[in-house]
Parts: sequence; C-alpha cells; structure tokens
Amino acid sequence: MSMDSSEAQVQAAGCPVGGDLLEATLTDPVVQARPNAFYQALRSQDPVHFDAKLGMYLVSRYEDLQTVLRDPLTFSVQKGYAEQYAKGFAAEFKEIVTRDGGGFFTDAIMSDPPYHTRIRKLMEKAFTAHRVKLLEPQITAIVSGMIERMADKGAGDGVKEFAVPMTIAIICAQLGLDHFDAQRIQRWSIAVTAQIGRMQTREQMLAHAKDICDLQNYLIARVREREAEPREDMISDLVHARIDDPEHPKLTFSEVVSSVRALLIAGNETTATALGNLLYIFATQPEMAARLYQYVDDDRMLNRFVEELLRLEPPVRGLSRMVTREVELGGKVLPAGAHLLLLYASANDDEQEFPCPRSFDANRGNLGRHLSFGAGIHRCVGLSLARMEIKVAAREFVRRLDHIKLAIAPEEITYLPTVATRSIERLPLTFARRA
Amino acid sequence: MGSLRVTFVQQDGVEKTVADAEAGASLMVVARTNGVEGIFGDCGGCCSCATCHVYVDPQWQERVGPADEVEISTLDMVSDLQRSNSRLSCQILLRPELDGVRVEVAPGE
Repeated sequence: MSMDSSEAQVQAAGCPVGGDLLEATLTDPVVQARPNAFYQALRSQDPVHFDAKLGMYLVSRYEDLQTVLRDPLTFSVQKGYAEQYAKGFAAEFKEIVTRDGGGFFTDAIMSDPPYHTRIRKLMEKAFTAHRVKLLEPQITAIVSGMIERMADKGAGDGVKEFAVPMTIAIICAQLGLDHFDAQRIQRWSIAVTAQIGRMQTREQMLAHAKDICDLQNYLIARVREREAEPREDMISDLVHARIDDPEHPKLTFSEVVSSVRALLIAGNETTATALGNLLYIFATQPEMAARLYQYVDDDRMLNRFVEELLRLEPPVRGLSRMVTREVELGGKVLPAGAHLLLLYASANDDEQEFPCPRSFDANRGNLGRHLSFGAGIHRCVGLSLARMEIKVAAREFVRRLDHIKLAIAPEEITYLPTVATRSIERLPLTFARRA
Repeated sequence: MGSLRVTFVQQDGVEKTVADAEAGASLMVVARTNGVEGIFGDCGGCCSCATCHVYVDPQWQERVGPADEVEISTLDMVSDLQRSNSRLSCQILLRPELDGVRVEVAPGE
C-alpha cells in the first residue's frame, strides 16, 4: 500500500508560510490547518525556533524530540503543562472550577518522576496490548452497530455522527459510565483540550470552565458511587487500587478524579480525530479505501495501515515541556524556564527519519517509530486501545460502505483552533452500502 | 534478591551480566533496573511500543520460546530491525530454566 497523498502535493505547492519563516506563527489558524510546509521550513531553517506570538520554542526535528523525550527531568512535563494550562486566564479559571466544579484537580499523570511513576503504574496495566486484543469483539460490535445505523441513510457527518460517538461509547464502556450523553461528553472534551490549545478568548474560557465544572461534578458523583460500592469497571479499579508504597498506599480522591478525567477525555478526543482523518482519506482518495478493502482480512496489513495513518496525520500536533536547567538543544542554548512545544507532527514528517515523509507507505520498515503517541515515560498509555479502535473502524467501514465521498468542498473543511491537535471539526459525507 | 543470571549485550558491545535477577521478573525490568543501555520499555511492559527489543542468543531461543500473535504484530512495527530471534524483553518472564540466558539489545531510537 503506497501512494502519494494529494494533501502532500497541495501543501508542497501552496506553501502557507508565505515569505519569511520568522514572520509565521503557529497561532495563525491558516498555518494550523495546513502546517506541513511550515514544519518543513522550521526543520531546515531553525529547528528549535522561538515563536514569539506563542512565547514558546517550537522543536521540530525527530532527533531533537527524541533527546527531549528521553530526558524527563531536564524537560519537565509538569512545569510545561502547568504553564500552558488555561494560559492567560489561569487564575480566573482556577477560581471558577474551585468554586463551582468541586476543586482544581491538577492532572496527576502530567507530572515528573518519581511521583509520575506511581500514577503511571496504575494506569498502564489497564490497556496492555493483550488485554485490548480481548476487547476486539466488543469494540467490533459497537463499531459495526454504528455503521449499520448509518449505512442506509446514504449521508452523514463522519466526525459528529461516527468518530465522536464511537470513541465515546468505547471509553465509557471501559470506565463503566453507563447512560452517558455523548454530546455532553464531546463538549467537555473540547473544553478540556482547549486549556492546552492556546487559542481561547476570555469568553470562550468562561464557557469552557463552566463545562469543566459540569464534567467534574459528574465524575465526582461517579467516583463517590464506587467508593461506596465497587463495581466491575475501571473507575472502581482506580478508586480501590493498592500501590506498592507504604506511605501512600492508595490514590487520593483528587488523583482519582483527575485520572478518570484524563482517561475519559484523552480516551475519546484524539482517537476521534484519527477516525476523522481516516474517513477524510477514504473520501478524498478512493483508491485507498479500495486498496484497504483487499486487505480487510489481513490483520498485519490493517495494523500497518493504521500505523502509517497515525504517522502521516497525527491527531496530537504538539505538547509542551519546560526546561529545568540551561541546556543545548538542536544547536541552541535554552535557559532554565524556556517553554517548549514538541511538534510530534513535524518529527513524523522529518525526511531524515522517514524518507518521502508525505507519502503514505504502509510498507515502511520503521513504521512504529513515529511520535504520534509521544515517546519515553509519557508515551500514550492508551495506545493499544487507540490502534484497535482505528483498525476496527477502518476494517468495518470499508467492509460495509462504498463510494465514500465528501459532501462539501475540501476547502470547506475546518480544523479546531488549537496548537495541540489538528482535528477536523465536521466531515459531511455521502456513501452507499457495499453491494 | 533472586539468583538467576542474565547477560545483555549492548549495541556498543559492552556486556552487562546481572547475577541476582528474580524469577517472575521480565527481562525488560531487569535491564532497566540495571542500567542496560538501549532498553527503554516506554509502555511499561504492555507489549505496545517495541522499545525493549532484543535478539535472543540462538542457543537460548528454544528455551525462551517464540513470540505470541500480539507480540509479533508489535515487532512488525519495527520490521527493519526484526530478525528470526527477535523478542520484546517485556514479554520474557524469568524462570529457573532461563538461568544464564543471553540476549543482544536491538538497535533502536
């Protein structure tokens, strides 16, 4: 399976940077929507580039990202994340959620060792590759059911009616959240991820803070229920987990709430973005869907297809770190306190690591070395679940549907305004049931 | 403290032998706790990331055993480095008959 992405041709031809690289900024929605030429310019001209408007150094080369990701003490997630969170409105945001949302629960998992190790150990066993393999029939049933309900309508929104409700249904089943309202959870997800997106106005922050209060009050009630009476679900597992640490044998209430929140939000939002990208490719490159249909019973090729999709179109564009001591990176000396945005999407595009990076090539020998899940101690904890969801969705989609087309012009596709992810907002499609 | 012996051959040729590994521990954990270079184990031993890739010494291959289906699909993500004796060290749990086992650390990131 190998072909040039038409997106690549558009991006190489119509460079959105326009003129001097140093004038361009990742805060520009045009750059956010079509970023690859900008990334290319960063890598070749100024691989650790200070984006003055963002107030952050953009780290763009694969090798430099690896350096950062392998040294979590020099490059702190905890400090970088805290600096990014609700930036510009942090005090007001904190006051609102403390007053109306049961508290300000810092993300326990977005921390540094040794504290991080304790939290991470509890979360990583939930989604081992072997455990996720056992979930495949259950995930297939959810996905197939959703596609079946859409199939005869002939049209629908690939993001709003498929990707988002599908990933929400799957993570809610794992966490043990029944009778959930998918639209509400999607709103909460957007509100949470907007806090690291750097694009919200004060009015938007106020609306997001209100949604986050709603989310936290909902989760607090679910956690309290499990404290009173454990169930067979992941929230109960976290509430009652015993840690091998005599001084802190259990997670605190705040750690439980923040961990459940992280699993719920990260567990649906980024995977939904990947599914949106998948359907966009099916709709704009029908030969890809046709090719995939030939491999519909070949698990190895399906896995390779998913991995290359993740490399080519990573849902998470970039996450932050803060430098804790003066350090040289990519030929530049960074002072303690420098705030970095690690551009995973640019690393995946680095021609030094992935030849012809804008080409979709599922036969690459180093497929798994993309950075879409990050790397090092903070590598995505739900990566096996995400891969499985995308694989099942790809397989069941091409198995059941054909003639998948965009119902709007490609130029009308819009992306969420954020530096953290690259997410299609709505994706109107037409399709037919496969004969 | 256990009593099992394990030898890791790093990419730089340096051999690291651990003489007090415990039965039940994975080779990945033994490598990480003893500072073996090139074994990262990013995913924490969940068979999902292929950053603990080793080549099992051919003399030990039969006793160590083959990778299962899930491990094979994770190894396929680094097929450029894959050999017939490739294993993910997080999936090899030490047991008495592996006393003395020898593995080479695969090149990686």
